Amino acid sequence: MAVSVDEAVSTGPARDNPPPARRLGGRGRSALEVALLTVLAVVMLFPVLWMIETSIKENRDVYAIPAKFFDFTVTLEHYRDVFVAPDGGRSALSVSFLNSVVVAGVSTVLATVLGVPAAWAYSRFAVKAKKDQLFFILSTRFMPPVVVVIPIFLMYRQVGLIDNKLGLILIYAAFNVPFTIWMMKGFVDEVPAEYEDAAMLDGYTRLQAFWKFTLPLLVPGIAATAVFALIFSWNEFVFATFLTSSDSVRTAPPAIAGLIGGTTTDWGLVAAASVVFALPVLVFAYLVRRHLIAGVTLGAVRR
Amino acid sequence: MLLLVTTVAACGDGKDDGAKASAPKAPATIPELTKDPLTLSFIWFDWPPAQALETFANAEYKKERPNATIKVNTVPNANWHDAMFTQFAARKTDFDIAILDSQHIGEAVTNGNILDLTDFVKNNIEVTAYNPYLLAAYGQFPQAETGKRDENASLYGLPLLGDTWTMIYRKDLIGDKPPQTWDQMISAAEKCQADNPGVSGLAFHQANGSDAAAVTYNTVNGVYGGNLWDAKNRKIDGVLNDAAGQEAMDVLVNKMKPLTAKGSGNWFIDEVNAAVAQGKACIAFNWIAASGGLLDPKQSTLGTTREQILDKLGFATLPSQKTNLVPLGGMGMHVSAYSAAANQAEALNFMKWFERADVQKKWAAAGGVPSRTDALQSPEFLNAGPFNKVYADSVPRMRDMWNVPEYARLVDIENTNVNAALNGAKKPKDALDDIAKEQQSVLDSSNRKGGGGL
Amino acid sequence: MKDPAPLTTDHPGQVVSATPPAPGRSRRLSDRGLAVAFISPAMLLLLAMSVFPLLWSLYLSFTDYSATRGGPANFIGFGNYTAILTSAQVHTRALTTLIYVIGAVGLQTVLGFGIAYLISRRTHGRGVLTTLFLVPMMLSPVVVGLFWRFMLDAQFGVVNSMLSSVGLGQVEWLTRQRTALISLIVVDTWQWTPFIMLIALAGLSAVPKYLYEAASIDRASEWFRFRTITLPLVWPLLLIAVMFRAIEAFRLFDLVYILTNGGPGVSTETLSFHIYKVAFLGFNTGTASAYGILMVLVVIVLTQFYLRYLNKLKEG
Repeated sequence: MAVSVDEAVSTGPARDNPPPARRLGGRGRSALEVALLTVLAVVMLFPVLWMIETSIKENRDVYAIPAKFFDFTVTLEHYRDVFVAPDGGRSALSVSFLNSVVVAGVSTVLATVLGVPAAWAYSRFAVKAKKDQLFFILSTRFMPPVVVVIPIFLMYRQVGLIDNKLGLILIYAAFNVPFTIWMMKGFVDEVPAEYEDAAMLDGYTRLQAFWKFTLPLLVPGIAATAVFALIFSWNEFVFATFLTSSDSVRTAPPAIAGLIGGTTTDWGLVAAASVVFALPVLVFAYLVRRHLIAGVTLGAVRR
Repeated sequence: MLLLVTTVAACGDGKDDGAKASAPKAPATIPELTKDPLTLSFIWFDWPPAQALETFANAEYKKERPNATIKVNTVPNANWHDAMFTQFAARKTDFDIAILDSQHIGEAVTNGNILDLTDFVKNNIEVTAYNPYLLAAYGQFPQAETGKRDENASLYGLPLLGDTWTMIYRKDLIGDKPPQTWDQMISAAEKCQADNPGVSGLAFHQANGSDAAAVTYNTVNGVYGGNLWDAKNRKIDGVLNDAAGQEAMDVLVNKMKPLTAKGSGNWFIDEVNAAVAQGKACIAFNWIAASGGLLDPKQSTLGTTREQILDKLGFATLPSQKTNLVPLGGMGMHVSAYSAAANQAEALNFMKWFERADVQKKWAAAGGVPSRTDALQSPEFLNAGPFNKVYADSVPRMRDMWNVPEYARLVDIENTNVNAALNGAKKPKDALDDIAKEQQSVLDSSNRKGGGGL
Repeated sequence: MKDPAPLTTDHPGQVVSATPPAPGRSRRLSDRGLAVAFISPAMLLLLAMSVFPLLWSLYLSFTDYSATRGGPANFIGFGNYTAILTSAQVHTRALTTLIYVIGAVGLQTVLGFGIAYLISRRTHGRGVLTTLFLVPMMLSPVVVGLFWRFMLDAQFGVVNSMLSSVGLGQVEWLTRQRTALISLIVVDTWQWTPFIMLIALAGLSAVPKYLYEAASIDRASEWFRFRTITLPLVWPLLLIAVMFRAIEAFRLFDLVYILTNGGPGVSTETLSFHIYKVAFLGFNTGTASAYGILMVLVVIVLTQFYLRYLNKLKEG
């Protein structure tokens, strides 16, 4: 980790801390640990801060050697360029952001609508070979996207779904359904089945019991699950690159990647676009912070 | 489920059979054009000429066809081939005119993706107005190996934008007069680098994507009298890596590379431009069509006006050594076989319009590089940019790469190996021998069982 | 090929149509009906979008089919498979991928666990710290790749700028064989260390306090406590985290595509990246399909072994 060493030296909050006095035992050690944590946090967050800084620098400061950390002129030009085209119209980037909103949003709704009832059924009923089915569902998530994209491409060209938002929506939904089922099954398991049994004794059907009593209790879980599905669809790059081509369909990740490789690269714009693109994800991730572990392990691990 | 698989696959195959081998023919005369509003779409990669084309065409073509709108879709350069050919593979394109690189024609024709324009050209285009090689390069398949046009071969495209490399040199650092030979160029760069700390002698394309490093090697190969292949016998191994080829690789890796900036091993068009604009290179090589930005004071540290920048930057044709060959760049227009009939008609009409003498001159004035000889020699073109004379002078000196259906594979093999040699991951000689061997096996692999493309 | 799409679009409808079971039927039957009605739409989507494509891939992997050249798909038996397994080009990519997976996942595990351990010993500010550490993981690989490419640029990148300000020379991060692979590992580690940290933290906070208290009465050494109490309780969770990371790392594509494009030469081309080239440069669809099937097989087989080992660990 050459990077971490180097960054630790140049920013050096660690140095201000007194060296741990061994005799002091607990306190000295504690200070050392705090120092270590601070250094690590700085290293982990530095690229993010640098990205934000680059996004508000003028282009000549972006390329400055040695790098300018504080003494630069602040400009919001790059953020304007993210949304406004040079001719005053709407920029291709902002269109791609909108496409991302549509694709990620609809695919998440679809995955939730399909996944939540299935999760409930897996949790409540004795289904044949339940374990195998569940493992099978999970394993579809482990296929390398580059591998899946080939037959999907062939399939889509037969039904005209290439370069079509619906195509992306379907494939994202298919990638998110396994996750939704696994994650939601955990949440459903936590709601006692007795609630439904009691309701059914009162004359409700099983379906009504699910709808009226269990579902409302699941709402926080559904929200958390949906947010993770949303983050996946929002960030996805491989399918988006290979299955879309036109400006009106392309989502933000390939559009941002497309900012490099012309005749000049505007790194300020790349940084600004990245910040705008990352912001919703960070906000959403913060909202579901309590369910992060289940979220990132497809529900296989929960606290 | 398996049954379904086979039926579907079979159905897919049946569809493929129809488009086998030869490209569908475009009508000899332009069919009646629609009166409804129509959007004529192009696909190109993202660079200034793409925006220039859209603006130019919407301003000028609309005068003739008020109901037509021109849209130039752009993709990143690295994605350009994939974006066009995945759509061709899908048998459905969101563009009517594909702007193919000259070497893509073979792949597109063999797969039946673009229209055969031979009859259309005969009836509608003044072929004598062009340098025959330009017509051949951007439209003919199979391409003439000699650099001459074969009158009997079919044409599949018409020139859109001509291009070649220009040498960009710092007049204030190496003098007003550009070096004339490759050796002189290298020693000028050497001296300039030694005299100006912080400025590197050379900047050129070294990246392993697109055709970056491959074009660089091909250029040096041509200048040093090498050949890319023996087209008649489809032979690469033993031709590319003959003595001349080895010398070219040696010059590139051992003489030129040491004069480049550290870490420049992944540079392509924009990095070279940035190095020039930041005043960090004595001599640079880049495509003419990508050089316009160098004169923009907003992106440059060399001066605050165009004139000030031009006091420091000179543009010249490439130095020669054993030969005076320069790389052929640029692209032609090709009509997608999968676009609607009305759009194909409009596309043909557009091409006929675009190749008119007066329009070619206007295209030149708008920043484009025309192909008609009269336009190339017109003051409109020669005065539009300092590098335009470089292009006009380079036209008789051009050489292209292999124009075969296997192009994408061949160029990838060359790109990755030249890039490896430039970055010390392979010895120059080994890299060249590997290129020759692997490219040869691609050409020979047509009757192998399985594993194609590895 | 008309079947899958209509099926998938029908799903929401099917959910609705699964409304009240006819009265009078036994509850068992209605339960089963409900289960089928609730599970099958999701299953159908998976069949159409995951299983069917995979089977199609499997079929194509035994042919010389090309998506652009057209023509019939000729059956060539195991030709593609033997070609792939004996290809030196593939072996190079496999080695690169292996080094990358071991390097990246190893580094992430050590660092992630280390950070989690340090955080778990704090009483204040744990929530804030955890949240801050998690930021890299939430970013799109595109953003991560582009940005590190910018920071690692040899000429004007901030990393080299800081190196030179402490008197060290420029490093060619992305254009030398060794450093390019190291850069990939570093960037992946930067992004995914938080993942291991998060899971390790969950394990660490699940260790009951009384165990430590008992140990401290015994005046057991710090290391002894760590080895005998902390580690055994966190270990299984950590192993699951490692498995997830290894599967992800094994199929790495986007970061390579953006950061190095496989260069210099082909020295950072992973297996996934190679498949992409086979599939979309030469359009050798048959070969690419066989290549992909092999990759899926490797994942499935290794995961099975790993899970079996994990289960044994749990029982033992």
